[in-house]
Amino acid sequence: MSDSVVAIEGVEKQYGTAETPVCVLKGVDLQIPRGDFAAVVGASGSGKTTLMNILGCLDRPTRGTYRLEGEDVSRLSDAALSRVRNRRIGFVFQSFNLIAQLTVVENVEVPLFYARVPRRERRRRVEALLEAVGLSHRLHHHPTQLSGGECQRVAVARALVNEPVLLLADEPTGNLDSHNGAEVMKLFHLLHGQGRTIVLVTHNPEIAAALPRVIEMRDGSILRDHAKTTVAAAGGA
Amino acid sequence: MQISALPEVFVLGLSNLRRNMLRSLLTMLGMIFGVGSVIAMLSVGAGARHAILERIGQLGIQNIIVNSVKPPQEKKSQGMEENWIDRYGLTFDDEAMLREVCPTIERVFPVNLVRKPVWFGSSRVDASVLGVTPEHLEMFRLRVGRGRAFTELDAQSDAKVCVVRKSLVRELGVLRDPLGLTLRIGGYSFEVIGVLEDEQFESHTRKALALDDRAHEVYVPYSTSMRTFGIATFVQRAGSEERSVVELDQLIVMAASPDLVYTTARILSAALARAHPRKDYEIVIPLELLEQSEKTQAVFNVVMVLIAAISLVVGGIGIANIMLATITERTREIGVRRALGATRSDITVQFLTETAAIGLIGGIFGCAFGFAVLRILVAFTGWTAIVEPHYFAISLVISAGVAVLSGIYPARRAARLDPITSLRYE
Ligand SMILES: Nc1ncnc2c1ncn2[C@@H]1O[C@H](COP(=O)(O)OP(=O)(O)O)[C@@H](O)[C@H]1O
Ligand SMILES: [Mg+2]
Repeated sequence: MSDSVVAIEGVEKQYGTAETPVCVLKGVDLQIPRGDFAAVVGASGSGKTTLMNILGCLDRPTRGTYRLEGEDVSRLSDAALSRVRNRRIGFVFQSFNLIAQLTVVENVEVPLFYARVPRRERRRRVEALLEAVGLSHRLHHHPTQLSGGECQRVAVARALVNEPVLLLADEPTGNLDSHNGAEVMKLFHLLHGQGRTIVLVTHNPEIAAALPRVIEMRDGSILRDHAKTTVAAAGGA
Repeated sequence: MQISALPEVFVLGLSNLRRNMLRSLLTMLGMIFGVGSVIAMLSVGAGARHAILERIGQLGIQNIIVNSVKPPQEKKSQGMEENWIDRYGLTFDDEAMLREVCPTIERVFPVNLVRKPVWFGSSRVDASVLGVTPEHLEMFRLRVGRGRAFTELDAQSDAKVCVVRKSLVRELGVLRDPLGLTLRIGGYSFEVIGVLEDEQFESHTRKALALDDRAHEVYVPYSTSMRTFGIATFVQRAGSEERSVVELDQLIVMAASPDLVYTTARILSAALARAHPRKDYEIVIPLELLEQSEKTQAVFNVVMVLIAAISLVVGGIGIANIMLATITERTREIGVRRALGATRSDITVQFLTETAAIGLIGGIFGCAFGFAVLRILVAFTGWTAIVEPHYFAISLVISAGVAVLSGIYPARRAARLDPITSLRYE
């Protein structure tokens, strides 16, 4: 498929030493078309986070190839991977991972800072984005002064600020109560509606059921990949 | 990392330091002592150099000063204390002899020193009356604040004119303008034609110029002094009267050039040693003072360099240590930054900037500390210290440099952390 954002083939990931390798991913093939919104589900330890790390260019596969928008990124240098993470990927974590000593605005600015965007331009973009996620009244607060839901919305804003082609979220509602979790999911659905490509790990069957595509993992392999064609087609348009 | 981003990283570093104020301050202690020593060393060094140059300027780099000194008392004089006259020191023959044996001498200036009471109306002050040549005042940078110094003309006509210290005039209770005033000096009337500024001399200079702390100075033309007071001096001390006769109290020998000072001094001291087995003279070579003081200075410098080096090394180790701790604490932040696109060099620069900030702030405190130490040092030792603005620049460069050097290892360690491991770190 030519318009795949993600195309991985035969991806394996091993940890441990050469004598006693631990195989965490055992030959994963996956295509994510532009505009897709996929849930990754599976038991704890099935390799979801490892897969997300590889998709997010935080880690390199031991074997296999990863093409991001057609470009092979599986053998890039550390500096080149940093650049890919910075310009083309947005990452949302379960535990928010905001930097405590920075304000909301400063946190969202971080990726732009590493993208060498001038300060003034940065402020402008960040403030617009925070307004879009409904946090314009929290610009100069510190993360400790925010609720979990607000923190996660800041993290989403941060993930989006460099206009990534791929938005990855590893259990983004895992640390949130159901209300805040629902708010954050509403935001993801909104983004999907705007045409963004999103891959989201979740343990919550309700959340997974609401997404157009569900990828089920077990033991380092993809067990099932189930797409609801109608919604997927609408998303890809 | 772009240069333009550095100020921002620096500000971030500062705010990180502020969050751990006490720890940052303790980390900086070594830096503060090190920089303080550097400042103190540079300033005291410059002060000493300045003082010695001043002194040499005062005494004349080309000059050799020969003073007559009372030789150790011979005990045989027990029975005849009454009319005992002590005759010692340089003679007029010496002057002629020196000119003859030493062709490198350009000129010789004699000084006749007597102690006389100075009267103004009914007030009396004991003074040292120095008979000097017209060149003397200028040669030794004795500044005539009001009026004028005496001239060749005054000298030739044996004019009874004098140049006095301001403090003498004050002591005599003169309230009006002292210029033109008549003072009685040792029974003779002298007109005041000039007033010297009160100057603080170092003891060494004072001694070399035969100035006496306890008496005030009056300068008169040499010829006038010889004709009026002669060469005998009477000093009353503890009931008994000492009489001494010294033909030449002081002889200022000017070498033809600064290069010839040591040669001249050698010939001169050999010739005098032959003529004066009693050793009733002393030779002061201003140029030699410079070398002595440089030796003293070198010892001080070695001590200060050691203190500075040890403090800076200890400070550097402290900084490295604290940075390693900081990096452990901030492992997760490093992981987040890496995930968001920071390269290894971005991380390195971030932490190096932070250590540079510690260094710079430590350097600034160190400058303040050095300045305080300097003031105390000057107050207690009376040394001269000169603080030049560029010492602060040097100190800041040194402290930032040491800090950055100590930060290299921790920063590289931070940069090499694996993003995934760091993100998982609790
Ligand atoms: N750095 C690592 N070293 C060794 N084993 C690891 C490492 N990272 C993950 N694993 C192992 O890989 C397996 C899959 O982990 P993970 O991808 O986090 O699963 P999930 O996110 O689905 O719970 C787990 O058994 C985990 O212990
Ligand atoms: Mg996981």
